[in-house]
Amino acid sequence: MSDYNSDNNKLTLKLVFYGPALSGKTTNLTRLHDLLDPELKGEMMVLETKNDRTLFFDLLPLGITAPSGLLIKLKLFTVPGQVAHDSTRKAVLSRADGVIFVADSQITQSINNVESFENLAENAARVGLDFENLPMVVQFNKRDLLNVQSEEEINQRWLSTPWKIVFSSALKGDGVIETFNGLLDVLYNRMDNEYQLFNHHKLSKEEFIKGVLGEVP
Amino acid sequence: MNDVNETVPFGDFDREFTLKELLSAVKTDKLLSAIKMILGDDSCIKSDKGEVIIGKPLPEPLKCVPLRAEMEAIGFLVVNNSVDDNLLFSVRQLIEIILKSSIRYLMASDLHLETVQSDYALLRQKHQALVESEQRYKDLAASLEQRVSEQVKTIEQAQRQLYQAEKLASIGQLAAGVAHEINNPVGFIQSNLSTSKRYVADFTTFSEKLKNENNLDTLLQTWKELDLDYTIDDFQKLLDESIGGAERVTKIVNDLKEFSSADHSKEEIVDINDHIRSACNIAEIEINKKTVIKQGLGILPKIKCQSGQLAQVFLNILLNAEQVISDDGVISVNSFMQDGSIIVVIIDNGPGIPDEVLKKVFDPFYTTKEVGEGTGLGLTVSRDIIMNHNGNIEIDSKVGVGTTVQIILPVNT
Repeated sequence: MSDYNSDNNKLTLKLVFYGPALSGKTTNLTRLHDLLDPELKGEMMVLETKNDRTLFFDLLPLGITAPSGLLIKLKLFTVPGQVAHDSTRKAVLSRADGVIFVADSQITQSINNVESFENLAENAARVGLDFENLPMVVQFNKRDLLNVQSEEEINQRWLSTPWKIVFSSALKGDGVIETFNGLLDVLYNRMDNEYQLFNHHKLSKEEFIKGVLGEVP
Repeated sequence: MNDVNETVPFGDFDREFTLKELLSAVKTDKLLSAIKMILGDDSCIKSDKGEVIIGKPLPEPLKCVPLRAEMEAIGFLVVNNSVDDNLLFSVRQLIEIILKSSIRYLMASDLHLETVQSDYALLRQKHQALVESEQRYKDLAASLEQRVSEQVKTIEQAQRQLYQAEKLASIGQLAAGVAHEINNPVGFIQSNLSTSKRYVADFTTFSEKLKNENNLDTLLQTWKELDLDYTIDDFQKLLDESIGGAERVTKIVNDLKEFSSADHSKEEIVDINDHIRSACNIAEIEINKKTVIKQGLGILPKIKCQSGQLAQVFLNILLNAEQVISDDGVISVNSFMQDGSIIVVIIDNGPGIPDEVLKKVFDPFYTTKEVGEGTGLGLTVSRDIIMNHNGNIEIDSKVGVGTTVQIILPVNT
């Protein structure tokens, strides 16, 4: 779904933070805005919130230029987690190149996680995404809280899936970069396949990741 | 059926916006005059392709600063070379704020539009599915009616067949009774005829003697030897018995004929009283008792009916009464009009019918008589006949007091 514009030599990639309501998607994005130091970083756009809850989406644009001159623009979106906003979720998920699924580690939220993940799979199918092959990382957020599912339990459950699992505490900034790094890793492989990032644009995976993350403290 | 979950194509609210698009909602005159008030000079805004979007091209030499949306320049603010850099920077900041606000607005409104359209598309698909399912149910309902009426026809046909079968069975039952009943007289008639043949042979022997013998004593001797006194006496009895037997057979055959022709006797307009009278006459002759049948027949309108059948009903009931009544019994037959119907009441002071028997009197083949005496169909057929005339028949009885049979026949117009 990535958008390559040969006129201005620009590749635009859409990355979506998905997950149940109040799992910390916007917090992830805010932390990335604060922590990342790429060549280009736009302002974070927060659209329509009500009581700290996203109604439309949040957007953080990032960009790096490959040695070939190709501008790679990453648009990081969050979706509203509440069940009622399914149409908005679908619209935002549409044409996504990668997904970070932000799960809430609290034991009480397990069912919401499952429902949201199933919703992600359904909506991916509805907007025509190949969910099986979609670059994705699953983040278990809110590790700083009590009453969370144990890492062993979560690892056990997700062992057989193809996705990288990251434990995080977005509020404290822990694991946010690691999650994003994980997505950039699988995203690069996919884009390298499609656009010959290494061969044509002389951009290696390390340079790509380092370029997007910048000098991470 | 349309799957409501099928892929819905979305527009792209997250596309890259051009400068022209972002400034389309801005009043250009006001923007230009505001900029002029700050800078004290004319300016123009160009797209990243060099197209002038706001203002007029300015004469050179010029200053040109990029205008950024998100991260990249999507156009330029162009002013005269003499314009102060600080002021220019401020104006650029202001324009970029306008652009960002424009992006927010366009993204939000486009996303809103997309979601509304997608919700609407889903609603339409669901509506279509509902319409189709409604049509299916309508079709089903329509065919259901047809199927029910077909089923009803089948059941009606089965009922008719069952009725026919029952009728055949009842005829079979009747035939069995009749066969038994006929067998008896035919048996003794045969036996009587054999004996008669022997008697005729005796008379032939005597007749030969009579022709050749002149001696009266010898002839008388032979007469005695042949026991012809007894023969004549017995012969007479045999013939009477045989005639009686033959009459019984005839009666049985007639009953059978009446029974079998009950369905297709002609409709006539008659006075029911005529048929009551003839039924009473037949009943009196049929049963050799001194029973009196008192007739109290009122004036009745003539009705259209199968008179032969009704006569059969009256006779049936009278004979039933006659058969059980004592010699000094009384049967009274009354007819009158009541509430637009003809009422015929036949009352006897016979032994009455016990309750457990009364319950079954209309049941086919139920009889209290000896095998061969009755078919158990008399009252069954009578009730069928009355019902065919849209009438009703009721029997009330008390043991030791007598039995009342009431027949109600509506007067047809």
